[in-house]
Amino acid sequence: MLPALSFTEVRRRFGRLAVLGGVSASVAAGEALLVTGRNGAGKSTLLRCLAGLLAPDSGTIDYREDGGPPLDAAGRRRRVGLVAPDVAFYGELTVAENLAFFARLRGLGRERGDELRRRLELPPDRPAAALSSGMRQRLRWAWALLHRPLLLLLDEPFQNLDAAGAAIARGLLAEHLAPGAGPGEAPGLAVVANPVPLEIPRVAASLDLGA
Amino acid sequence: MWRPASTWAREAGAVFAKEWRSELRTRYALNTLALFAINTLVVVSASLGPLGAAPGRGGEALPVLLWLILLFAAAAGLPRSFVHEEETQTATALRLAATPSALFCGKLAYSLTLLGTLEALVTPLYLTVMSLDVARPGLLVATLAAGGFGLAAGSTLVAAIIAQAHGKATLFAVLSFPVLLPLLLLAVELTRGAFSGGPPGVALMQLLLYDGAVLTAGLMLFPSVWNP
Repeated sequence: MLPALSFTEVRRRFGRLAVLGGVSASVAAGEALLVTGRNGAGKSTLLRCLAGLLAPDSGTIDYREDGGPPLDAAGRRRRVGLVAPDVAFYGELTVAENLAFFARLRGLGRERGDELRRRLELPPDRPAAALSSGMRQRLRWAWALLHRPLLLLLDEPFQNLDAAGAAIARGLLAEHLAPGAGPGEAPGLAVVANPVPLEIPRVAASLDLGA
Repeated sequence: MWRPASTWAREAGAVFAKEWRSELRTRYALNTLALFAINTLVVVSASLGPLGAAPGRGGEALPVLLWLILLFAAAAGLPRSFVHEEETQTATALRLAATPSALFCGKLAYSLTLLGTLEALVTPLYLTVMSLDVARPGLLVATLAAGGFGLAAGSTLVAAIIAQAHGKATLFAVLSFPVLLPLLLLAVELTRGAFSGGPPGVALMQLLLYDGAVLTAGLMLFPSVWNP
């Protein structure tokens, strides 16, 4: 069974401010859902709800892998890969140490982090605090892909990247959405949020949260 | 979410190692705790003199002063462990990668070793400057170990609760008071017994039960406190 995500009538308020007013969409394996909308339209809030970092006030989120039951918020937190501006790393640790720490938390060796670090051309020995904003965004990509998640949640994923960085990130996204190299390896799926439409591969649907 | 014990232990170990690696690079908590403890120790010894040499001159207050030094030094440094994660926005990455109970235990192990280092530094100095003889050194070591565990566990739990709130310093003081008060009363009573040679009675058992209760509460409450 291939992974699939659908969400229905997801609503979220912060006090009196209604940020998400009942949004619904679905995305299948090998596809990307593009979420657009002005600043403050609720794109990041939707992604945080999908990641299990925020509980929606109402609505359902149904994300399944391997044909099993829908994953709850705790399950989604462990499985998804998130690239978002509010994901930060330990400034006093180097790039390699940050990736090694999160790899160890996920029960992985250093190899995957080293591979992603090389792909994204990240300097291994530079402290995270000394990275430029573009390099920090590359580190977010490496961190999000560390555990080979099937669901990628990308909030302004090309922000601060130069042309070379954006090309590498687009390549990683295309690989993520393509069928796996090994037998039985499912293609991933992605939800991509950006204020304006993006040129990304395999966009199956768009959701506009308001201009 | 259920995790195998070996994976859980590896996660807790990774958090513990990361905390110490970060601390040894920045030395924030080590410097804060050590400076606070030594400053307080100097003020107490310079103001009161070697009270242990003259028990009639307020020697009853000696265990209280020792635990006050440890409490305030801990309060100055330990809450940082979770507050720092929120302030520097590393909490999101941690929420998505770590099992809450393993994270709590990794942070607790770090707080415990930090506090143990502080106790190992402060207690001999305190005994020396106050000219104190310890009648029951074994009981003093047991009290410092059990009291330090309770102080670290209580502080770690309260630090996690306040991390996402406004007015963190005030909240830490308000919330930690009822959590740590029973611990301090028991630790002072036991330390007094260790200095004078009195029996521990049931206080040591009560202190160990307190430690177990705070650890259990921490493991049960932390996932709700940490995640939405």
